Formats: sequence, structure tokens, C-alpha cells
Amino acid sequence: MKEIQYIGEHLIFGQIGHFLIVLAFVASLFSAISYFMATQKRNTNQFTTWRAMGRLGFVVHGISIMTAIAIIFHIMLNKYYEYSYVFQHVSEDLPFKYIFSAFWEGQEGSFLLWMFWHIILGVILIFSAKKWESPVLFCIAGIQFFIGTMILGLHFGDLKIGSSPMVLFRDTAALPLFAKEDYVLQLAQFADGLNPLLQNYWMTIHPPTLFLGFASTIVPFSYAVAGLWTKDHKEWLSPALKWALFSGFILGTGILMGGAWAYEALSFGGYWAWDPVENTSLVPWLIMIAGVHTNLISKSTGYSIKTTYLFYLLSFILIVYSTTLTRSGVLGDTSVHAFTEMGLENQLLIFILACVFGSIFMMIKGFPSVPYPEKEETFFSKEFWMFTGSLVLLFSSILITFTTSIPVYNKVASLFNYDLGLTSPLEPITHYNKYQLWIAVFIGLLSGVGQYLRYREFNIKGRAKKIWIHVGVCSVLAIALSYLTTLWIEVNAWQHLLMMFFAYFTIFANLDVLLTFTKWNKHQLPSFLAHAGFGIMVIGILASGLNQKHISTNPFAQRGLLPDDMLGKNVLLIKDSPMHINGYKVTYTGDSIVDNMRYFKVNYQKIDKMGNTYEEFNLTPNALYNSKFTKIAAYNPSTKRYLTKDIFSHIAGLPPGESDIEEAKAKEDSLNYRMIDIRIGEELLFKDTLQITPDSAYVKVFKAVVTEINKDPEHEEYKKEAGDLALGLKMKISFIEKPEEIYEVEPMIVVRSSLIYHYPAQINEIALKIKLTEKTLSEVFKTETELGYQNFDFTREQSINFNGYKITFEGFDKETKHPDYIEEEGDIAVSAVMRVEKDGFDGSAKPVYLIRDNSPFNLKDQIQEEGFHFRFTKIDPSTGKISMSIAQQAPAKDFQFAVAANSYRSDYIVLEAIEFPGINLFWIGTIMMMLGFLVALLLRSSKKVA
Amino acid sequence: MKKIHIVAIIMIILAIGVLFMASNDIATYSSFSEAVASGKKVKVAGQLIKEKEMYYNPEKDPNYFSFYLRDVEGLEKKVVLLGAKPQDFELSEQVVLTGKINGEDFVASEMLLKCPSKYKDEEEFLMIQEG
Repeated sequence: MKEIQYIGEHLIFGQIGHFLIVLAFVASLFSAISYFMATQKRNTNQFTTWRAMGRLGFVVHGISIMTAIAIIFHIMLNKYYEYSYVFQHVSEDLPFKYIFSAFWEGQEGSFLLWMFWHIILGVILIFSAKKWESPVLFCIAGIQFFIGTMILGLHFGDLKIGSSPMVLFRDTAALPLFAKEDYVLQLAQFADGLNPLLQNYWMTIHPPTLFLGFASTIVPFSYAVAGLWTKDHKEWLSPALKWALFSGFILGTGILMGGAWAYEALSFGGYWAWDPVENTSLVPWLIMIAGVHTNLISKSTGYSIKTTYLFYLLSFILIVYSTTLTRSGVLGDTSVHAFTEMGLENQLLIFILACVFGSIFMMIKGFPSVPYPEKEETFFSKEFWMFTGSLVLLFSSILITFTTSIPVYNKVASLFNYDLGLTSPLEPITHYNKYQLWIAVFIGLLSGVGQYLRYREFNIKGRAKKIWIHVGVCSVLAIALSYLTTLWIEVNAWQHLLMMFFAYFTIFANLDVLLTFTKWNKHQLPSFLAHAGFGIMVIGILASGLNQKHISTNPFAQRGLLPDDMLGKNVLLIKDSPMHINGYKVTYTGDSIVDNMRYFKVNYQKIDKMGNTYEEFNLTPNALYNSKFTKIAAYNPSTKRYLTKDIFSHIAGLPPGESDIEEAKAKEDSLNYRMIDIRIGEELLFKDTLQITPDSAYVKVFKAVVTEINKDPEHEEYKKEAGDLALGLKMKISFIEKPEEIYEVEPMIVVRSSLIYHYPAQINEIALKIKLTEKTLSEVFKTETELGYQNFDFTREQSINFNGYKITFEGFDKETKHPDYIEEEGDIAVSAVMRVEKDGFDGSAKPVYLIRDNSPFNLKDQIQEEGFHFRFTKIDPSTGKISMSIAQQAPAKDFQFAVAANSYRSDYIVLEAIEFPGINLFWIGTIMMMLGFLVALLLRSSKKVA
Repeated sequence: MKKIHIVAIIMIILAIGVLFMASNDIATYSSFSEAVASGKKVKVAGQLIKEKEMYYNPEKDPNYFSFYLRDVEGLEKKVVLLGAKPQDFELSEQVVLTGKINGEDFVASEMLLKCPSKYKDEEEFLMIQEG
């Protein structure tokens, strides 16, 4: 086969990029081996050499990956569609600001993002980790090696290792297009671009934050490995704690951003849905938090070192597990946002098994030498309560993972040719909530009481009474606040009441400890922020979750026999027709288009019992169209925020013709137009038969009157251009059963460069659609041959009689001002002034005679009102005699319009509106928790660590 | 025995108990005939029958959308979703429903769509190329 010499390709970038990825891969292995040797030989004189080699390898690795990323940005920015990754994630109309989002939209890009953060963290650790550098960097380089395999894109026979972002599109599919040597030029029009759903700022900030969170878990993991390896079980605890706090802060923030995105910008109708993808990033965070607590214990008391090891190792393993689940396609059935399968399953499996067995190996080797205090901790020591709290977090993680992993059980069973056919619970949210609420109860209890206790407390007696009093007061306050809260939101189940009580309890207890026990000690602040924040978050969850209420249920349309969850969630709002629902008067008032967004303005008025409006606001949920404006890609919500609640609303549906051009066409084709002839001023009745069942029909009678012809009509979608022939018919239409309601409409028809455009009139109230036919057009705008010109010769000031009009040739006008005339050099142009008179009428026309390039032309002029057409056809310069063709067109009387009854309304929206009370408590609580980590981190970093 | 160990053991026993309870919630896919037989809320997975009518007329009822689904046993049934028609529903192939039989119809309260959206444009592209 002859090799095709393609033109327009930029292969050099792919070649360099591919080389860099392979180089980075090799360098990470080199670095890992060198750091391994450096750790093993740490007490010999070979150490510095091995460490230098490890550093060299890591730096080469880092530079290679960074350069590869830069190259991908380069080919994306320049839109080299010959690269598959560019073709899939970039399009011609993609704004520059979304280039980052497009980069990490795909699997390969997100792997690179993950590696990018590992490199940054690795470099920081090279500078800061001191004696821990070798074992820690060994782990990071080793992990980079595994992730590197995912983007290698190497083929060994049938074995494919990784999926490279540098692969050429023509190497991924055998399309006939690739037979053309200039195929590259044609790719632009087909390029997918960034999914419109992801084209918002959240997509720019959420993935990098979340991936930094994912990446950050590697540091405590690596320190744990380092501690077990070097058997220095105490010293690693301090740096690991700081990194764990950092991880808790960033990963938590990343997860929250996901929730905020789901709530604010997507129409998920909530911030958390217990989706597998959400769960598998929450679980590593929970374990990391558990690790932070046991780490604090072990630093202060020497207990719980083993558990700290376990938690930090587990946290990273769970990140890898999360990656495996979301990227292998296993979740396909149960999650809305998992990646599709890319043939990486086996590699991912090897990756996670390496992490699991590596960790187990390290624990077996290291655990026997872990020291622990001789004396057992007492029940009333802080460490006991904190440790129990960590176990509760572990417990929570096990429960979440157990249910989230259901697809994994199926997969494992299928390897043994056994079909389990299991699937996630029927009511996943209820399922998770009913178990996790107990976690919240215990955390509330432990984090509240635990604050009063001290580390290594072997004699509680002296303080017991004081603590009991404080706990008692906090409990009373919590009961009081819980009671007050039930006046605001409905909390019925005793489990929820208990949950609320303990949430308030921990808020008060933490506040109490901060104020009275530690007297505003800044080191108590992080703990206060995190635990009180947790309590506030729980109240927020109870308020917004239990009491979220659909405003958009129409009480009249309920199918009474159905249970609550099957009641309608959406209402239909017809433009300008207010609807009274659940205390609101809601009106859809109109829409407007900005770029690809169509905003629907919905007015809400709060109505009191007397029917008076006491509050009013507008929301503008929108629909995002695709780049070609043919179809809606996504609906985005709009939220009214109050201090105590949110009113969240989004579009659930639009008239079919509004959401999809193809459907609009299908609907138009399905309409049955009938032609109706009508004269101006005539009242005409026409009928429409609506088939209700095969045996019965309903006949509707309508009345139409044409009142006026409009040659300068206006329509909101019509933009006038020079040379247009536009025509509108002013009509009055009424439905005979409601004669008092007269609809004044003006359907339009336009001829532009010999194409005909229709601007029909739609009367939604009576479901009629009216458009003008071409017969009307030709009736009004007769062709020249139809006009029947007659020739007359004139001398100056001569008059003739034409159809009862007196027509006079008044003379020449040298200043030719005909609208169609554009002067050229060498033109000889003259216009004749023709005056037309009849009793009461006096008008004139100035047709033009023109000699251009020795050829005669004429430009006609008209007197529209009386239908006169003049053509100046000849001139005799010696005598001044002229020839004039004159025609008078009878006024147009006979029109025709086409009418379709039962046409589809196009003026409504289907709206879902939900009230979320107390949602701000959720955000305040979670932000406080994150601040807790941040403050703890800052306090510990400012302290000079010995 | 140390207190911590006692706590850990209690936790483990509790965990086993709760996991056992939780496992009762794990659902298995049902067929339409099983849904008819049990009359309970079940999960059904099946193929969307694209040739049959998909009815959504918000002017009549914005919370009524019906279509036809063929379950794993090949049985076809009309499905009523009490909600709006999801965007791009026509592109879906595999549909997972949660709901129960009501009269002749399967009334769904939850629906998960599996649409090949990621590769949709590429398919279109291939079609253009072949056509």
C-alpha cells in the first residue's frame, strides 16, 4: 500500500511529547530505584550518591511531564485536530478561558493533572523533608511510575499499555476521510469541544483543587511508609500531621466545591447525592481525618501509632480505589459521572494491588518495633474519646464503601462466571442517610465530651464535677435550641431529633471549652472551628434535607392515589399567566438570549392570606444551547438566596420546538396547513376539525379579517436588509366561541435574494398558526410582464389621459436621485419628472434613463399609493422627445393565508422550584470545618518544629 | 484486656451487624414479570424501544412522560415517569428504572439513563464519513 503523504499535520509535537512521556516514565523508575537504594544505604557513604541520582531522576521526570503538559496546551491552543485529544476536547468556538477545563476533561489530561501535583509536592519535599526525603520520594516516584503507565500509549503486539494524549486521530480509527492527504483541514468542523455542561468556572477550579487533594494524600502515605521502613516510629509523626492537615483542608475543599457546583450550577437539585463518585472521594477524606486524630493522640501520648500508620496508608489506597472505580467503567450502571472504559482496568488493578500489598508488607515488617506506653489509657482520657471517634469515622467509611462497591462485587463474581446481578439500593439516599445519621450522633457526642478531657488523664476525680456541670448545661442548651429549631423546621423522627441534639451539643461544648476552659487559647481554635462547624453542618443538612419543599407542585394536578415521592415536581408556566402555587404567585414573563444562554425570567411574588404581595423577586434559570444553536445542551438553575433559605429553580423542559431544531422541524411538518383565500376587509369564517377519538370530533370555528397590507412590516426575528421585499398582512382573528377576544396578528413573508422566508403568526391561546402564502406575495408584487406596460411618447409639458389620471411630463431632472442608482464615471443619466393627477391625488415619479458603457438602461419608478409604474425607455436628444412605458397595477385584494389549527404552543416553560431552608448553615458549617484545618496547619507551620 | 480492645471488638460486632442489615438494602434487577408478581417497588433495567411512542405533552401534564421499554426477558411494557422528559432521552439505550407496577403500566419514580453521549458526536462523524 502506498503511504499517503499527509499535509497540514504537525507531527513534531506528538513525537516530542511521546518521547517526553516515555522519558518521564523511565526517569520515575530510575528515581524510585535510586531513592530506594539511598534509603537502604542511608547510613553508609553511598547515601549521597544514591540520593543525588534519585533527585536527578525526579527532576528529569518533573521537567519531562511539565514540558509534555505544555506541549499538549500548545497543540490544544493551536487547534491541531490531527491529535485525537485535541479533536475530542477542543472545538473552533471554544473560548480561551476554557482551555484548562478542556485539558482535564479527558482521562489522559486528568492523569497528567494528578502527576503535575505529585511533582509539585515532590519538589517541595526534596527541599523540606530533610532526613525523610529518600523514603518519601521513593514512594512518590514509585507512584508516578504507576500513573505514568496510564498515559504511556505503548503497544506490544496485542498488549496496550496506557492511553497517550499524543496519539494521532488517524491512528485511532480507520475513516475514509484519512485517505485524503489534506484531511486535517476538514476536521475542525467535526471537533467535539468541551461538553457544554462543563463550560463554567467550576470546571476551571474544581478539578485542580480536587486533584491537589487526591495528590496530597500521597504525602502522609509516604511518611507512613518512611516511618515503617526506617523504624523511626516517632519522628515522622510531626511532618505527617502537617501534611495530613493540608490534605484534609484541600481534599475537603475540593469535595465541597463539587457539592457547590452540583447545587449551584447543575440541575441536580442538591449538594450531595451519595453518588459513587462523590462517595469514593469522601471516604479517603474521612480516613485522613481519622488519621489526623490518631496522629494527634500519638504525638501527645505515644498511643495509636499503629492506627495512624494504618489510616494514612489506607487513605491513599482509597484514593487509588476511587480512581480505579471511576476510571474503569465499573460504575457505569450506578453513577452519573463516571468515565467510560478505556482499557486501563488491568493496569489500575495492578496499581491498587501494588499499593495494598506494599502497605501490608510494610506493616508486617514495621509493626513489631512500634513502641507503645506501658500504662493503658483511661476511660476519661482525651485520647480514648478521640480514638473512639476515629473508629467511628472508619466505621462510616466502611459502610459507605460497602454499598458503593456493589458494582465491584458483580465484577468480581463475573470473573468466576457467576452473575450476581446486584445493584445499588432502591432508595440510595435513604439507605446512606439512615446509617450515617448514627455516625453524626456519635461524632457529636464524642467531639463534644472529648473537648473537656485531657490527654493522659489518670485522675479525673478532681475535675469530674466541673465537667459534669458543663456537659449538663450544654445538654440543656442543646435541648432548648433543638426545641426552637423544631418550631422553624419540621423534624419528626426521633433519630433526627437525636442527631440534632448532639449537633447542638457539640457546638455548645466546643464553644464552652474555647471560652471558659482554654480562655481563647489559639491552639484550641482549630478544634473549635472543625467540631462546631461539624455541628452547624449537621443542622444545615437536617434543615435543607428534611425540609426541602417543592414549590412547583400544582395542588390541583395531583393524582391522589400516588405516594408522596410520585407527586409531580414540575409545573407548566404559560407566558404572562400567573400561577398560584404554595404561597407564591409565579409568572413566566419572557426570555432573552446572551451568547449561547437563553434566560427565562420568572417572577415570584409571595402572597399573604389576604392575597397581597409582600415580597417579590425574579429568577432567571437558563438553557444552554450547543455551539450551533440547534439543540439545548443543559439547563442551569437560578437561586434566590435568603439568610435562612434558598429558592432554587431550574427549567425541566421547554416546548419541543424550542429545545431542538430537528424536533421543531418535525412539529412543523406534522402541522396540517389549509389554504384560505380572503379579500381585504372581508370577514371570513373557517373551521377546524379536531379528532378527539376515532369516533368523535370537535369542530372549532374561527373568524378572520384582513385589515391592512403592510409593506414595511416588523417582526422580532426579522432584521431588515436593503433589497428585501417584505410584506405583512394585518389580521384580526377570533375564536367564535369567544368572540370578545380578538387577536391582532401580522404574519409576514419576505423575499431576499430570490429566497422566500416565512414569519408566521402563532396565537397560543387558540393554538392557531398562520402564515402567508406565495400567492399573496405575487398578488402584491406583480412581475413586470404581468403589469402590462403601455408605451407613450411625450414632449415637455405634454399631458395624456391614462385610466382617468392626468399624466404630465414636466421636464428633466439632471440630479438623478433614484434609490437604486449608484453613479459611475462616464454615466450619462437623466430623470424625467412625471406628474400624476386625479381629483384629490397629486403625485410624481422620477424614472431614470441612463447610458453606461454605450448601452442604454432604465430604472423604473413607482407611485405606490395608486400602483403606477414608470419606465423611461428612450430619449431623442435633438427634439427632447421621450418614450415612457406606463402601467397601473390594480390594488391587491385577493390574499391567501395558510392556517394550521392545533399548532403547538411555544410560549411556556416547565419549571421545577425547590425551597431549601437552612442551606446556609450547611455552607457555614463546612467552611468552618475547612478553616479549622487551615488554622491548624498555619499554627503548626509557624511553630518551629524541633 | 484493654479498654481500647473492648471498644474495637464492640465496633467490629456492630459493624458486622450493620453491614448485614445494610446488605438487605442491596437490590437486584427485576424483570417486568417479577414486578407484576411482587407488586413492590423494584429496579428494572432494559432497552428503550425507540420505534414506539414517547409521549410528553407538558401542556396537558408536565409530570407525565411515557415510553416503552423492553426488559431483559424481552417483555415490552409502557413506562410512565412522573416527571419531565429528560433532555436527550432519545439518545439513551440502556435505561434503569425504580418504580412499581400500577395497573398495566410501570410507574417509575427514578430513572437512570445510560447514553453513549461521550461518543455520540464521533458516531455522527463516522456516519457523515460513510454516507
